[in-house]
Amino acid sequence: MATAQQIRKGYLDYVLTNNEKPKSVYIFAKKLKITEADFYQFFSSFESIEKTIWFELTFETITKIKEQEVWLQYTAREKMLSFFYSYLENLKNERSFVIYSLKHHKSKFSTPDVLAGVKPIFENFAQEIIEEGLGSGELAERRFLSKRYKDALWIQFAFILNFWINDDSEGFEKSDEAIEKGINVTFDLFQHSPIDNLLEYGKFLSRNGKFTEKMRF
Amino acid sequence: MKTQKSIPTTKVERSAKFVKTGIQIGGNYIKHYSKKLFNPDMDREQLNEDNATDIYKSLSELKGSALKIAQMLSMDKNILPKSYVDKFSQSQYNAPPLSGPLIVRTFTKNFGKTPENIFDSFNLNSSNAASIGQVHQATLNGKKLAIKIQYPGVGDSISSDLKLVKPFAFRLLGMSERELNIYIKEVEERLLEETDYELEVKRSIEFSEACKNLDHVVFPKYYPEFSGKRIITMDWIDGQHLKEFLQTNPSQELRNKIGQALWDFYNFQQHELRAVHADPHPGNFMITPDENLGVIDFGCIKEMPDDFYYPFFSLISTDVINDKNKTIDAFRKLEMIHKDDSPEQVEFYYRSYREMISLFAKPYTSTSFDFSKPDFFEQLYAYGEKISKMPEFKQARGVKHFIYVNRTNFGLYQILHELKANVQTDTYKPTLEK
Repeated sequence: MATAQQIRKGYLDYVLTNNEKPKSVYIFAKKLKITEADFYQFFSSFESIEKTIWFELTFETITKIKEQEVWLQYTAREKMLSFFYSYLENLKNERSFVIYSLKHHKSKFSTPDVLAGVKPIFENFAQEIIEEGLGSGELAERRFLSKRYKDALWIQFAFILNFWINDDSEGFEKSDEAIEKGINVTFDLFQHSPIDNLLEYGKFLSRNGKFTEKMRF
Repeated sequence: MKTQKSIPTTKVERSAKFVKTGIQIGGNYIKHYSKKLFNPDMDREQLNEDNATDIYKSLSELKGSALKIAQMLSMDKNILPKSYVDKFSQSQYNAPPLSGPLIVRTFTKNFGKTPENIFDSFNLNSSNAASIGQVHQATLNGKKLAIKIQYPGVGDSISSDLKLVKPFAFRLLGMSERELNIYIKEVEERLLEETDYELEVKRSIEFSEACKNLDHVVFPKYYPEFSGKRIITMDWIDGQHLKEFLQTNPSQELRNKIGQALWDFYNFQQHELRAVHADPHPGNFMITPDENLGVIDFGCIKEMPDDFYYPFFSLISTDVINDKNKTIDAFRKLEMIHKDDSPEQVEFYYRSYREMISLFAKPYTSTSFDFSKPDFFEQLYAYGEKISKMPEFKQARGVKHFIYVNRTNFGLYQILHELKANVQTDTYKPTLEK
């Protein structure tokens, strides 16, 4: 009787050797010397294997970083940075798979299917951090907009991942820079900024139009 | 005081200039990308030109002060690239501090452990910025440690920035790339060495060992086991930086003592080790509570090969300078006089450089020298001013080693002047016997 772990290992070995997925579940099962039923007991398709791997990598990372001693001292910004650094560290062990998987499921307009399971847990995690930041005043509460903060972080997620799979610098140092700079910029935008004051001022002026009209000489 | 005015502007003013350029360049990028939104075909050429123009503008404003000393050796042109590079390292100075998670990441990458697992305590907030990194305080077994962490991608940005702006800079300054490449390369080499922390630890240990018998000079202990590509761990040195030290109104005796330590430190290296700590930046020194000079940075080392050392220092410490033919011979070896110079040119450069060398050598000509006296420095600046206006010095001359040897020695003179120290200058003399 095959286990999920075996099937997963066999699949990884297959795609990394052949740089494509098996032609069919039948062929793949035969090669692993298991029955198709064994396969379907654990996975509904090849994609679902990949989805599971992605899900596990991400879930592991989130669990691990929360166990760090410093976690509670970190600001929201630092927590997000910590996630990305640890995530890439974690992905490094499966780099070939990550590259294979992302390059074979490229979609220009939306999230690649294989990341379908990752998106909700990342967004959950991001939302958690954002709410913490909003609560402590680190981030700016903006009507409509603060609900979209997590989307901005998801865009960063996709960007960093793409950057990393194409990164050929020593020790993926450039990816570290991409994280440090990208996440900092994103969080800078989440913070209170002169733009908020400008908007407030604009609102004030428009509400008090009669004064401004009178002030014309 | 009058001299204070003519002396290169304070650090603050200078960095203000650099920051301004930084902002302008930032603006150029924004301009570039907003234009690109509407015209995706636009290439980076315009951007590079904008950047180079701004850099050049701020450099020519700087020239009056910071580059004066450089002009001394008609290094006007070959020192310029150095200023470009200073600017690039300056942009690193202005880099935002590393985030806590990135520091943790750097540690786990280097040692497989987080800083909390290595040290008894580790302060995630940096205590100050080093040139291309930041410094943290930690403790281990009751000892206070200083840990220097490098910003990621520094080496990379140095070379790429240089590459980016170089061609435009040459064009703007009307210099040929071929003529200047040799100097640029020298500077780039030193700068890239500075980003190599493994090399720095090795050298720091070697140099502090070699200099350990010098009076009143102290070095931190280095810990190679906690150092790596991006991290240097050493003892924390308590003390004051030069500026703070001077604000405490130290006695003349104490000024002389620190000045003497500096003089000995540099001249011992130059003449005994033939390799010198080439960054006499006041930030690299500490004056400790027990009145010693602490040296905390060996990032930039200039080695002096024989074919530079002998001709140059023979001009300074022997009577070669009184013999015209021998002097010209030395100038030729140092490429200050070129093979294809006409007899009039030979005579002209002979006279100009001789004046310069005699100025440079002045502290060496007696057994002690009072650096507090403004007239020596006024002479230096006046000379720099004079040759900067001469068309004859519009072309690069002198071997590449001058860049750092000048920077070192004039930098040293400058610090001693700020200290107003009177020092024995015959402690470590040039040794010319082979």
